[in-house]
Amino acid sequence: MRKFTPYVLLFPALLFTVFVLVYPLAQNLINSMLNVSLIKGGNQWVGLHNYGRIFNDALFWLAFRNTAIYAVAGTLLALLVGLGLALLLNVKVGRVNDIAAFLYTIPWVVSPVVAGFAWKWVLNDRFGIVNYWLTNAGIVKLGTSWLGDPHTALLCVIVARVWQFYPFAMVMFLAGLQTIPQEQYEAAAVDGATTFRKFFNITLPNLKSVSSVLLVLGVIWSFNDFNMVFVMTRGGPINASMVLPVLVRELSFVHFDLGAGSALSIVTFALLVSLSYLYLKVIGGRDPA
Amino acid sequence: MRNRYLVPLILSLSLFSCGKKSDGVELQDWNFGGRPRLIEFLRQRVSSFEKTHPGITVVQSDKSWNMIREILYADFSAGAGPDIMNTHANFAAEFGEAGYYYPVNKFPDFEEVKQWYLPHVLESTRYKDNYYGLPSSAIAFVLVCNRELFDREGIAPPKTWSEFREAARRLTKDTEGDGVLDQFGLVLMGGDKGGFAYRLIPFFLKAGVDVMSDDLTTIRFNSPGGVAALKLMAEMYQIDHSITPGFLAYTHSEINDLFCSNRVAMSIEGPWFRGMVDDKSPGKDMYVVPVPVPDDMLADYDTAPTLQDMVMYSINARSKHLNEAWELLKYLRNEEADMFWITEDLGATAVTKSALNSRAAQNVRDLPLYINELNHARPWPPHPSMIAIASNIFAPYCQKAIVGELSPEAALEHAAREAQEVIDGYK
Repeated sequence: MRKFTPYVLLFPALLFTVFVLVYPLAQNLINSMLNVSLIKGGNQWVGLHNYGRIFNDALFWLAFRNTAIYAVAGTLLALLVGLGLALLLNVKVGRVNDIAAFLYTIPWVVSPVVAGFAWKWVLNDRFGIVNYWLTNAGIVKLGTSWLGDPHTALLCVIVARVWQFYPFAMVMFLAGLQTIPQEQYEAAAVDGATTFRKFFNITLPNLKSVSSVLLVLGVIWSFNDFNMVFVMTRGGPINASMVLPVLVRELSFVHFDLGAGSALSIVTFALLVSLSYLYLKVIGGRDPA
Repeated sequence: MRNRYLVPLILSLSLFSCGKKSDGVELQDWNFGGRPRLIEFLRQRVSSFEKTHPGITVVQSDKSWNMIREILYADFSAGAGPDIMNTHANFAAEFGEAGYYYPVNKFPDFEEVKQWYLPHVLESTRYKDNYYGLPSSAIAFVLVCNRELFDREGIAPPKTWSEFREAARRLTKDTEGDGVLDQFGLVLMGGDKGGFAYRLIPFFLKAGVDVMSDDLTTIRFNSPGGVAALKLMAEMYQIDHSITPGFLAYTHSEINDLFCSNRVAMSIEGPWFRGMVDDKSPGKDMYVVPVPVPDDMLADYDTAPTLQDMVMYSINARSKHLNEAWELLKYLRNEEADMFWITEDLGATAVTKSALNSRAAQNVRDLPLYINELNHARPWPPHPSMIAIASNIFAPYCQKAIVGELSPEAALEHAAREAQEVIDGYK
């Protein structure tokens, strides 16, 4: 009986995993090869036809391009901001550090949906604070529609994404900075290294593994991010900020083309699995120091 | 030994599967959308129903109006869903065809109940030979004009497209003298594709355009009248700059704010708008008039159709308590209940003859206009794919035409071709 005990104990967790992961994934895979009609009922086997439709659809490639820009640009910018603030916070100036660290992490704890709505109003063409400031500074005309202009909508959601992700990067970088041995800086000082050289030759190399993890994680999370884009633009105007997760929703629950929606989600899943594999490789090859 | 593990497992699962067993009938009533006062009224009405119908309990749930299709599709296709629900009347075609809605004309007293309603309003709940619900409230899309701005400019609400364009042009101005336009003639709801389609199509209908052929086999919105309507909007946006530049991002809240702050002079709205504006800016007045007609159709100004939208209450065809659901449906939508649309400003028009002919109805603002517009208005064609076509094909292509990415002719041609593929595919 002892032989079976571990399996019995594992059973609830396995059951849970099957219900929340394996079953939906398998059903989604099956749906992606069916012509699913909720109206008429009955599903027709179509093989890889739905995948062919997606890859031949210009909207998929637009969403793919937008997602890649949103994920990569958003993450890189967030990392830059996070690193800059982490460097500032790493300079000990008493309680100011604690207060600043608290303030800087606020965007991280705000719900993405709430943040999306807030950004929508911040960027409002008539009543938004951004236009108020920029108009007063004479940079733009009042009424410049950031979210209503197909040329600027994607940029706006990237800015919002940066705002939400930089605190995580900042905290990680700060932790990384605090593990760098002071001896290295002292030795560099003895050798007459400038602050600039210390940063590029000591700080950055020591943060390489943290940066790699953050970059991969940030891209994965951004690739999968639905809330911010959906709340701010719904992928518009005229699909200018359409990203893959919003397109999956659009195909599945607006067009009710569940076959195509499932196929797209499988494609997105495959991309995310590849990124996750990269993440594991990065984690695996990380310098323990 | 095996029983040591199996018995507790089975007992645990049995406990999970246990629920409250009721001796009476329990009905699920899903309410989509509605202003707080309406929801409160529905709660009172249901409570009163439960008192007068012992043995029936009603569980009410409030759901998002914007997610009706998603929620109901998911539930219906899983064999679930409420016993009764309120939805757009357009869903009579979509869900009636799918067998999700129960044909209420099968109830023996339907002919009697039918007499409560305005005939053309009741017709909106019909698909093929069946009626799939009882009307709840009706909406006709109209032009609302910011009274303060119109009076200040000394112009009357427009009746023809030329007057409309001219009014929008005159009301578009730089009020602060800083070289930047800050007041616009017209605002459109571009941030919600469905809302956009519902506000644009009245111009097509006023121009005599058929959205589809009568036999529901051919798309017709790309006719010359449709092109002319879209061209009007495109020229107002691109040449006159009299449509708010950021309209593609706007939903209800932005439009309401712009109207209340005198940043826009006109919008295509319905009976809900006065209440919305009043909530935000009490006392702010507006002219409510029919959507303008093409210049050569001025004689038809009062009779040309606008878009009719309607809410209806329906019964889930898979309900186990069809008769009880029908009783609740009648109770929620009878003449007595309909009076509530007269006594309260809830953002839609009553639908029963007795409520509309009541003495109290004479005090309802804009009601004669809405009744007249509803008498001539037309709903979206009752094709099961129509709402999807309007939101997902018609709206995006028309938006591209307005901002100048496509010509109106090309946009409507593309839209018609794609919509026709959907229609053909449906067959």
